[in-house]
Amino acid sequence: MIRYAWLTYRRELLWFPGALLGFFVVMAWIMRHPDVRFAIARGYLGFFVPLVAGILAAYSVLDDPALELRFSTPLRPSQILVGRLLLVLAVQTAGAFVFQLLALGMGVDFSPLGSILAVQRAWIVPTLALAAIGVTGSLAAAQCATGAFLAGAVWLVQLLMKGWLLANGRHLYLFMGVLEPHHPDLLASQGAVLAASLVLLTFGWALLHRRERYL
Amino acid sequence: MIEIEGLEKTYAKGTKALRGVDLKIGPGMFGLLGPNGAGKTTLMRILAGIVNPTRGTVRVAGYDLRTEAGKRAVKSILGYLPQELGMYPELTAAQLVDYMAILKGLDDAAERKRRVAEVLEMVALSGAAGRRIKTFSGGMKRRVGIAQALVNDPKLLIVDEPTAGLDPEERIRFRNLLVRLAGERTVILSTHIVEDIGQTCRDLAVLGRGSVLFRGSPVGLTQVAEGHVWTVTRPRLDEPAPGATIVSMLHLAEGVQLRVVGAWPEADPSAQRARPSLEDGYVRLMQGDSSQRSSGSP
Repeated sequence: MIRYAWLTYRRELLWFPGALLGFFVVMAWIMRHPDVRFAIARGYLGFFVPLVAGILAAYSVLDDPALELRFSTPLRPSQILVGRLLLVLAVQTAGAFVFQLLALGMGVDFSPLGSILAVQRAWIVPTLALAAIGVTGSLAAAQCATGAFLAGAVWLVQLLMKGWLLANGRHLYLFMGVLEPHHPDLLASQGAVLAASLVLLTFGWALLHRRERYL
Repeated sequence: MIEIEGLEKTYAKGTKALRGVDLKIGPGMFGLLGPNGAGKTTLMRILAGIVNPTRGTVRVAGYDLRTEAGKRAVKSILGYLPQELGMYPELTAAQLVDYMAILKGLDDAAERKRRVAEVLEMVALSGAAGRRIKTFSGGMKRRVGIAQALVNDPKLLIVDEPTAGLDPEERIRFRNLLVRLAGERTVILSTHIVEDIGQTCRDLAVLGRGSVLFRGSPVGLTQVAEGHVWTVTRPRLDEPAPGATIVSMLHLAEGVQLRVVGAWPEADPSAQRARPSLEDGYVRLMQGDSSQRSSGSP
């Protein structure tokens, strides 16, 4: 099953995150200053891994040439949703871990973000959130591009309106783990973001019961 | 096997695809005829558990298709070949059929391998099992489509416009394959190609504008045109009389011989009544439907 999930995964969905990973590794390697290297590493892990996850998740379920055949099998909507989304998350997770290993090899110090677990939470939480926005957006609009646009728009708004969001909606601020790693509400915020992501995914699952919208 | 009562389907934008369809379909080959937009694909998708009905009941082998559990139960005994057959071009034929078998719940790897080889043999694709689908012709892709539909040994096989785009030889081969498969299961063949139904089905329904216009045998549909089919020879091709349809023409030395279905003045000395064919019956039925439409009936 995993073998076929991989074989039916669109190759461009692999090249895109791969190319981005390569770009950031090269940038980190070229920039010798430790602070700059840290900024690049933080930018890749905290911002670009989640953004790419959101965009790819938007295409994960509906951009399937054999969607009607898949819908004619006894697979539950939850199995379709989780199965396709896990593939995107697996690719992003692999990219994040490979990058961290390479960054550590280059001497990047991740300790300003906190413990190893805190570093992982800093990219996993926004990655799950933007993936949930991307896939649910595409299912709600019955269009992949809309889901990708939504994920991108949320990403941009969160980056541009950091100050306002921290003051007025810190529990739904996606990038607290990388931008405010020592904020007293960090864990509560990450918990709220995860819960909101689960709510969104549940909504996406409910939408997937109306398969006719996607044919 | 299949009981459909009062089935209606209205899409979100208000398009009424089905308007109170009642049908009972037993084992064997069943033909569903109708022009484009008649609601055939919607009906096929409802039977495949992909589209939800707006009103009415559909039972397949006793399972109610209005419930998720019923849909899953039907899908486990279903083989489905959609009209627009999308596949993974990078997979080989054997891989695609194997993957579909997994999705259909065939967990035993050895049994699955045996079954994949068996269905590829049935559709005469054993020699191409290891070839990527992107290298296949349209006919070969359709056969892979049938192979994936058969891999779970379905009790119900639904094929939607399976011969569209195939060359005549492939079409005949495909029809013969469907007839062979119908021996032990219910096969529903949906098409707008009358000849495909005439060559394969003993039981059929004609859909028009979402309603069943005819239900019976090919002989019964042929009889609809009894007394309404003419051969007429004209020096040149003219517009047919209102209410008549030219179904074929033959260019002769003395002019054009037309085969006409519908009203024709009996006083015309060149007009001769002809024996109707299944296609004539279908055309006559559609004339009735379109005249109802133009007279403003709902």
